[in-house]
Amino acid sequence: MANVTFPFPFPDHLITLLPEMIVAVLAMILLLVDLFISKENKVWTAYLAIMAIAAAAVATVQLYPAGSIEAFYGFFVFDPFAAFSKLLIFAATAISIVLSIDYMKDENHVGEYYVLMLFAMLGMMLMVSATNFIILYLGMELMALCIYVLVGYQREVLRSNEAALKYFILGALSSGMLLYGITFLYGVSGSFDYTEMGTALMSADSSSHAAVLLGLVFLLAGLAFKVSMAPFHMWTPDAYEGAPTPITAFMSVAPKVAGFVVIIRIAIDALPAVQDEYMTILIGMAVLTMAVGNLAAIAQRNIKRMLAYSTVGHVGFVMLGVIAGNADGYAGILVYLSIYLIMTLGLFAIIILMRRDGIQGELLDDFAGLSKTRPGYALAMGLFLFSLGGIPFLAGFWAKYAVFIAAVEAGHLYLVLYALLFSAVGAFYYIRVVKYIYFDEARVAFNFSDSRLMQATVAITAIAIVALGVYPDPLMEVCKQALVGLI
Amino acid sequence: MVGLSEYLIVAAVLFSLGVIGLFLNRKNVIAILMCIELMLLAVNINLVAFSHYLNDISGQIFVFFVLTVAACEVAIGLAILVSFYRLRRSIEIEDINTLQG
Repeated sequence: MANVTFPFPFPDHLITLLPEMIVAVLAMILLLVDLFISKENKVWTAYLAIMAIAAAAVATVQLYPAGSIEAFYGFFVFDPFAAFSKLLIFAATAISIVLSIDYMKDENHVGEYYVLMLFAMLGMMLMVSATNFIILYLGMELMALCIYVLVGYQREVLRSNEAALKYFILGALSSGMLLYGITFLYGVSGSFDYTEMGTALMSADSSSHAAVLLGLVFLLAGLAFKVSMAPFHMWTPDAYEGAPTPITAFMSVAPKVAGFVVIIRIAIDALPAVQDEYMTILIGMAVLTMAVGNLAAIAQRNIKRMLAYSTVGHVGFVMLGVIAGNADGYAGILVYLSIYLIMTLGLFAIIILMRRDGIQGELLDDFAGLSKTRPGYALAMGLFLFSLGGIPFLAGFWAKYAVFIAAVEAGHLYLVLYALLFSAVGAFYYIRVVKYIYFDEARVAFNFSDSRLMQATVAITAIAIVALGVYPDPLMEVCKQALVGLI
Repeated sequence: MVGLSEYLIVAAVLFSLGVIGLFLNRKNVIAILMCIELMLLAVNINLVAFSHYLNDISGQIFVFFVLTVAACEVAIGLAILVSFYRLRRSIEIEDINTLQG
């Protein structure tokens, strides 16, 4: 970056940022437009937000054939990998907005809520396209700051505030650690660019090895925090339980996609010199993450808390793809994240519907007897839970299959056997919920109101889970294609 | 002559003070915000020291971004804290105890 010369190559390289610019500009316009939308018509803010996402998605698809293009002297890249993960993030955000419409309709100031979601999405888009630690940090903070506010959005609810406060404190700690790690890697390599740093670290002399390791440990701790790997998962259950349920859905999917994309990029470009070291750390964390997530989930009575630990468990499985470190592993991560997105959002749609007659509908007992009065939802929920548990032949099975096979190919047989063990533990607590739904007597009536939009969301996600379970090949192929040019 | 390692040691001490303060502090959330600020300032000292030592400007540019983001972060943290105080009438750490399990 040392020899920057004027004039800037303006504006032809800015096309690279077209999706980001669309989201940024439309989000700011929406903030103004929202002032003129009356309280009864706030649903239009949500629709406009979804349209903004659709516009960005169209731009992303249009840019896709361009291959790998850079902007700002290689600070920012648009490649198929970034495009695919952006589309996943768009899908997660759009569905979360759909889920929010009914949930948030009694809240005040609901307009800013949707705009904050768009800005959080913008932060994630920057993260997945960043090839430089400065952009990475800015994107990550844009995402995190918006999500802190969204978690505490129900200002009159104590647990929402408390969740936001806890999440904020631990999140700020994690970004501090991330930055501290980056400074040491910069100090040794002299660059914030992933690729330049990777090359410089390769040729760094052994006297700086301690500094590189120090930087690596802090960097991994910061990143592990964002995707809730154990032992940095402590914030997950509290933040998930306290947040408004659509935000819980949002943050259990979208930031995980962005976080893993960042981890993959850094692993490939910035840290090949210390591959042995970071693999050791990641394997240790994966072993811990799978155990903590799946075992702690068994003890939970609140389904949001249970799903928080289940997310931790799934993150442990996804890490196997990073540990495999080959093209199949990275493709497996994308497969896993896509399928995880569909089943988690579908499940959260049903959880949101359960809020009825003044009860939160978040305890496992609240689901008792669902199949008697609402067989459709009971069936869909059963499908999501079986899929999350990895029962063949639903989509969740292929997600696990993709990363496990890649890890075996890379020679981590014992780790995969260990993962299979905890996958079975996971199946236990998912199926326990199915037991509540199908074999227990209802204690409270299920007189909730469901809009057409929610019905459609549940139906589409459930059908997608079955369809991908029967015929996963197209998704796997698309995910392989997305890695072109990356490795 | 003050060399690179002196700056790194000062930054490491500040950073450790921030982290230790975050975990040992049992009293007040405001002190936690100060600890977070301390950590970010330690990062900035590191960046400026490395930047000067490497004769590379990008470290100092990063410092500006870190400062800006730190200001935003504290603003949001205080906003959440004010909102918490309105409901709980307290900002003691031990009163942040609704969510457990």
